[in-house]
Amino acid sequence: MALWVDKHRPRELSKLDYHKVQAENLRNLCQQGDFPHLMFYGPSGAGKKTRIMCLLRELYGAGVERLRNETMTFTTPSNRKVEVMTVGSNYHLEVNPSDAGIYDRVVVIDLIKQVAQTHQIDASGQREFKVIVLSEVDELTKDAQHALRRTMEKYVATCRIILSVNSTSRVIPAIRSRCLGIRVAAPNEEEITSVLQLTCKREGLTLPAELAARIVDKSEHNLRRALLMLEACKVQQYPFTGQQDIVELDWQVYLRETANQIVTEQTPAKLEKIRDRLYELLAQGVPPDMIFRGLVEQLVRNCDMSIKAKTLEYATLYEHRMQNGSKHIFHLEAFVAQFMNIYKKFISESMMMDDF
Amino acid sequence: MKPATRKRAWNNSAFAYQSKFDSVQTENTTQMKESNVADDEKTIEINKTLNESPETSKPTPPSFKSNSNWIDKFEPKTCEEVAVHPKKLAELKDWLLHCAAVHKQHPAQICLLTGPSGSGKTAAVRALARAQNYELQEWINPVDRDMINTLGDQTSNYTGSQIDFFKSFLFRSSRYKSLLGSQKRLVLVEDFPNMILSSVDIFEDILEEFSKYGKAPLLFIVADSKSRSLNISYTLFTEELKNRYHIHHISFNPIAVTLLQKAMKRFCALMREQQFSDTYKVPSETIIDSIVFAAQGDIRNALINLHFASLKGAGALPTERVESCEIKGKSKKKLSTLKTIRRDESVTMLHALGRVFNPKRLPNGNFTHKPEDITDSFASEPKRFIDLIHANYLPHFREIEHVVEAANALSIADNIITEYREEALALTALNLAVRSIMQTNESPVTAWMPIRAARHNHQDLSKLQKISGISNSLYATDYGSYVQMINACKKIEK
Repeated sequence: MALWVDKHRPRELSKLDYHKVQAENLRNLCQQGDFPHLMFYGPSGAGKKTRIMCLLRELYGAGVERLRNETMTFTTPSNRKVEVMTVGSNYHLEVNPSDAGIYDRVVVIDLIKQVAQTHQIDASGQREFKVIVLSEVDELTKDAQHALRRTMEKYVATCRIILSVNSTSRVIPAIRSRCLGIRVAAPNEEEITSVLQLTCKREGLTLPAELAARIVDKSEHNLRRALLMLEACKVQQYPFTGQQDIVELDWQVYLRETANQIVTEQTPAKLEKIRDRLYELLAQGVPPDMIFRGLVEQLVRNCDMSIKAKTLEYATLYEHRMQNGSKHIFHLEAFVAQFMNIYKKFISESMMMDDF
Repeated sequence: MKPATRKRAWNNSAFAYQSKFDSVQTENTTQMKESNVADDEKTIEINKTLNESPETSKPTPPSFKSNSNWIDKFEPKTCEEVAVHPKKLAELKDWLLHCAAVHKQHPAQICLLTGPSGSGKTAAVRALARAQNYELQEWINPVDRDMINTLGDQTSNYTGSQIDFFKSFLFRSSRYKSLLGSQKRLVLVEDFPNMILSSVDIFEDILEEFSKYGKAPLLFIVADSKSRSLNISYTLFTEELKNRYHIHHISFNPIAVTLLQKAMKRFCALMREQQFSDTYKVPSETIIDSIVFAAQGDIRNALINLHFASLKGAGALPTERVESCEIKGKSKKKLSTLKTIRRDESVTMLHALGRVFNPKRLPNGNFTHKPEDITDSFASEPKRFIDLIHANYLPHFREIEHVVEAANALSIADNIITEYREEALALTALNLAVRSIMQTNESPVTAWMPIRAARHNHQDLSKLQKISGISNSLYATDYGSYVQMINACKKIEK
């Protein structure tokens, strides 16, 4: 009962829906015997993982699609056991080291060592190397990134590493220079629309152009989200109508309500309620930077032009502190407090103006 | 090495070493006395000479007539003299009477006596035992013997484990009488064998054995400590254990000021007696008051300070004069500045939080409790204190304008404390957090507000339904709600 996102994912480079020139280049890359470490970068939902899997298939054939899940256990220097889920085939291993939290360094080192120290048994007709796919490398700690750099060099003979990142700015330069960077841009609106229509055709459904346009609009150029939305719409109501409700992500709805509450009342007691809501979001696993961004977008939408600049100024200040700090809630809360303060001042000033 | 009863000072003190000086003293005594007289008469002149010749300004140990520990002389002999609240004393007495009453059927009664240090636990037990003709059998951890000979080899006679010693002590001391006396026996454990502290199981076994075979009441004395991990009465004596072995728990409080004052009067009266009058000079009322204040319910501490303040030889020294002047001058206004005689003020975390959220100010605008002092009290756990501040500061604020500054400072404090390479920065961060809350909150809300524990932001990963190959955060942001909805609908269709 696979999701449409997985079911209709293109499996070969030639079948990709967009960025076809890039796909051709990737194929050429594989035709050479060797290829360097790769780094796919681009926004979430642009198709990085799809391209990586297509590339692996191009390299090793259909064997890479026989996936098996494994839980690997690593022991930290402080004797803590860390469990990390991996997905792999005979030829490759896919892991998200940032799942290990602050112990990601151990995962990076041990994992690559384990994989790289075993050579391929049957070298005839196969590549001489295995591939390790590391996702969300930009979430890794600096420590782990430095460890990664060393291991990348050391085991280059037996394994290649494909990194998947959202933004290269959080990857240390040493890693950036060791990889061939491949940018996967977010699909544009026509491309998403065509993918949506194609998916519906495969499923035997008809999709009104109006609904497609609205989904594209809501998806923020995130193809994964667009497809999930489409599927959610389908289970809610089919046949489609142009005006039907599009289900939104619950955390986004929750965040929007939070932003509205901030605007309605500016007191310490309210701030405390907001804090509880933010805790709730963090506990759901929503990354703090996404919360921050969503909050700022909503607040700026709600407030007057004159305090927008000030809001953004504080947002940048506290976002930066949040990246440096360890307790995300401190900074989120400080930002909300600042916004409440300037908003309250603005309201009271405009009341005075009205009186005149 | 049989741990036997030991004549133990009811009060251990840093001054105990002074008995060593006795032999040296006898020579100097006459000279000393002369100088004492001179002191009383012409202090100013002596001051001059002392300034000129620094070697004479060294404190000369005062003379003692006997070899026994000076502090033993002040031990309360009768129950009336013990400076413990009468109710608590009666409770302990009742227990002892109860033990005597049920001695035939259940001889192995167990009692746990807790209280802060210097609250008169041991003194009360000793006085009561004396009054009711109990012979105290006290366990003392055996000191390590020389296990290794001069060549570095291990000696052949292995001494056996401490636990075995302890067990046999409990067993024998409660069963077998002393050959000399025919009194009732009371087994006292104040000094816990180290192994017991690390394992509750061993302790349970011992208690089990004792409750079966013991023939005399057993009394544990445990001093309270601030942190839970060190608190024996908390870690070792669990509720379950107390219930199972019917352990009677008596908890002493710090000694009240009035009781402490009464005790000080008794000490002073003792000092005036013939045998001490050449050693001690009873200090003035204000000094005694300030000692009582500074001791904060710790009678042992009060006595040591009294001893220090009333020694004739030491009191005559100019440095001591300055010290006592300080006490006089500041005892009325704020005693917390008394660095030399003051006992380290122990502040609990909740107490300190109160000081941070509702700071008191002196008439000149300064804080009664300086942010630095509060910071110093929690230097060992700055992170925890900052988290607690953060979890609780909001309800104490009235205006969002003030919150802004406080939240901003907390955010900076978090950034500072994250820099783990420089240890001193943690303190700076704590100081910043404490100070900013105290400073920015111009009109604190004064209402009863329960303190809440800091929330730890650990994601409940088990709750998150995972799809293999998709990271947690991605699942939370993109998949979560859709997948749930799609799955739910598909189930309905089936």
